[in-house]
Amino acid sequence: MSAVQTGEIITFFILAPLAVIGALGMVLARNAVHSALWLILTMLSLGVFYIVQAGPFIGMVQIIVYTGAIMMLFLFVLMLVGRDASDSVIETLRGQKVVGTLLGVGLAGLMATGIYQATRDYTVVGLEAANKDGNVQGLAKLIFTNYVFAFEVTSALLITAAVGAMILAHQEKSGVKAVGQVAKMRERFLPGNYPGPKPGPGVFATSNSVATPAKLPDGNPSQRSISPILPTRELTAAEKADKPTLTGGA
Amino acid sequence: MSLSAYVPIVGLFALAGAFGLFSVAAAPFIGPRRFNRAKLDAYECGIEPTPQPIGGGRFPVKFYLTAMLFIVFDIEIIFLYPWAVSFNMLGVFGFVEMVIFIITVFIAYTYVWRRGGLDWD
Amino acid sequence: MVKLPPMDYAAIMPLLILFGAACLGVLIEAFVPRRARNITQLLFSLAAVIAAMVFVVKRAGNVTAANAITAGGAITIDKAALFLQGSLLVLAFVSLLIFGERTLEQGGAFVAQAAVTVGSEKDKEQAAKSLGSTEVYPLALFSLAGMLLFVAANDLLTMFVALEVFSLPLYLLCALARRKRLLSQEAALKYFLLGAYASAFFLFGVALVYGYAKAVDFASIHTAAAVGAGNITLLITGLGLLAIGLLFKVAAAPFHVWTPDVYQGAPTPVTAFMAACTKAAAFGGLIRVLYVGFDGLGWQFTPVLGAIAALTVMVGAVLAVTQTDLKRLLAYSSVANAGYLLIGVLAGGQLGLQSVLFYLVAYGLTVIAAFALITLVRDADGEATHLSRWAGLGARSPLFAGIFTFLLLAFAGIPLTSGFMAKLSVFGAAVDGGQTWLVIFGVISSIILAFPYLRVVVMMWLSEPGESTPSVSLPGVLTSTALGVGTIATLVLGVAPGLLLDLADKAAAFIR
Repeated sequence: MSAVQTGEIITFFILAPLAVIGALGMVLARNAVHSALWLILTMLSLGVFYIVQAGPFIGMVQIIVYTGAIMMLFLFVLMLVGRDASDSVIETLRGQKVVGTLLGVGLAGLMATGIYQATRDYTVVGLEAANKDGNVQGLAKLIFTNYVFAFEVTSALLITAAVGAMILAHQEKSGVKAVGQVAKMRERFLPGNYPGPKPGPGVFATSNSVATPAKLPDGNPSQRSISPILPTRELTAAEKADKPTLTGGA
Repeated sequence: MSLSAYVPIVGLFALAGAFGLFSVAAAPFIGPRRFNRAKLDAYECGIEPTPQPIGGGRFPVKFYLTAMLFIVFDIEIIFLYPWAVSFNMLGVFGFVEMVIFIITVFIAYTYVWRRGGLDWD
Repeated sequence: MVKLPPMDYAAIMPLLILFGAACLGVLIEAFVPRRARNITQLLFSLAAVIAAMVFVVKRAGNVTAANAITAGGAITIDKAALFLQGSLLVLAFVSLLIFGERTLEQGGAFVAQAAVTVGSEKDKEQAAKSLGSTEVYPLALFSLAGMLLFVAANDLLTMFVALEVFSLPLYLLCALARRKRLLSQEAALKYFLLGAYASAFFLFGVALVYGYAKAVDFASIHTAAAVGAGNITLLITGLGLLAIGLLFKVAAAPFHVWTPDVYQGAPTPVTAFMAACTKAAAFGGLIRVLYVGFDGLGWQFTPVLGAIAALTVMVGAVLAVTQTDLKRLLAYSSVANAGYLLIGVLAGGQLGLQSVLFYLVAYGLTVIAAFALITLVRDADGEATHLSRWAGLGARSPLFAGIFTFLLLAFAGIPLTSGFMAKLSVFGAAVDGGQTWLVIFGVISSIILAFPYLRVVVMMWLSEPGESTPSVSLPGVLTSTALGVGTIATLVLGVAPGLLLDLADKAAAFIR
């Protein structure tokens, strides 16, 4: 069944432009987060291509691992750096951009014509033979027999990745002693501490922010009601004003 | 390969989209309308909506470790899937291979855990 | 029912030992108390390398064409692979000794916690007191295991996985210098980005070769290329892309731009490890791809690779002249050496292979000794690598200046050093293989390259030591051993190279 189905053609002509637009958008977008989102478009389109071309497993891996996990990591890294951090536009080497673009386009052209020339006369056989026991089963047979060594060695890569992340991103705590439960409890009931729960934050009818402080009976905001890591919010006059309690039909 | 297996998924997508559209379109007609300024605020998980996030929107680097661990196990699952599907075909040696693989990946986990990489503070 | 292909455990034992030891090393990191970690890890890693070596030597006796290919055709343990694995193990053993050095600096050459912000209070504190991180040992073992697999891979997929396994730990190791941490982190980032890019080229090449040969193992590629059915463009394009990935690792021009920054920024023990072992592994992979996989093309690619070799020797030599930092100078010298090795590769045949194998060992041992010596010349800020600081060192410490002079003469290829024998064999093989034009480039480049070496020698001996001349620290046992082994090997291989040349000659045979 190497003939191309109509559905496949339609899918291709819808998704191929999208994939290219996504790739262009990724390169041209000014904002790094936008670039990442464009890349997701391209990767999703590629994932669908794989599925359409009789490779459902690789298609799903593309979507789960690349668009899911790897893109998440991309976004994390962008957030680590700060999403407003932008590249310096000053070229350290003069004309680097122009030369780089020309060489890149040249290489792409060379590769594309080369591959086109080389594959023009090929007869497409499809994946029927490879997929005869099922796509995933066929892959499993290869992974767990002939390529078993490469498969096991992949775990070395995973260990290296985890160790590397620890080395580069983890700081060990220094000098902070763990406080036990008993000590914490004693501290809580020391004179001068109020042992009960803290009041919840602000007035949810007028604001949906947990940074809005609750009001004490005398109308003053209670600083105890908001988490110390949140910036306090300036209340507007309307919010400061005493709210009438709704009674009956008033 | 026939793509007809994916028709139900397309149907599900269509159903989900239709439900969303219907809900949004129907809400103004059947819901009560009471004005509250808070309803117009952007909602950011209860945090004060600000144009500039705190700290320039930068996350602590600790998140990276969590993300990396997630990826490690994500990739492990990618290998588990074909193994599970072909389990009866692979027999004992496949089981042994997978146990070795899982043990080696858990070495990484042990290391991260013992070194306090999973403690948040 | 699917069956597991037969595994020749005796053949892949060195690989299993190293991977297992690296995994255990990570567990040691998790469970052994901090104070005891360095010594435990060092002894454990050295023991693992020795154990792997024992199995390599044991295996060397009974390799036949029938039992070389194992693990479902993924791995070939032939004589060339065993020679390369053996030399990698020896070179790694000597480099690991420098990794373990703790007497030159409190806590060794590695930073305790790379995550601490550079220049912060905490950073100053840890630079002064804390013990260095010991994750470097399992990482180095992972890298070494990857290299051993890389030189023995029998198909391009296994080769790619091995390439990643040996590269990834190296990127990390580069970022772990205790002093000049920003430079070190910059080096790691550059190496990682460019390395990942080169890997992508390699992978693209694998895909195209698969498209032509309908297989990724070298025997099938060879057969398909020899038959020459279909459009050969696909195969040649694929080979070109594969070559980019491999030439990046060997640091051949124009894919060498990472070398000076990375060699300079990485902690010096890691630089030594990279200069010796990465080079050997990458050339091991390159010769396997060219000799075993693409031999069927009838070496049509020689002019292209020849041009790269000529460019590499010239770029390395000319840019070495302009350097003012010793580590950068040695980096460019390593680029030039990659060029000489490429000339040997292109010489072809038994002689070419033999010369390359010999060269890799000779150069590796010399370069490890040179970097070991660089770790000794220090001032308050760590290693003093600027050339001007070495002026007058001969008066301060004649012994170490003498050793360094000898090593530089070996790099320059002066007779009675291993460098001379290595160059002689490579150039001889190239003349024999009809690549005389490359030899002309090689000789010109050697002459140019002698200049920066001799300049350092002259500076060390003929200048008066000034205020800023750093002192030469007395090395501990570990560095002394590494330095001694490297220097003596440089001398012995220069005076009596016969034994190693014979060994390389016997090993210069691939099994397809």
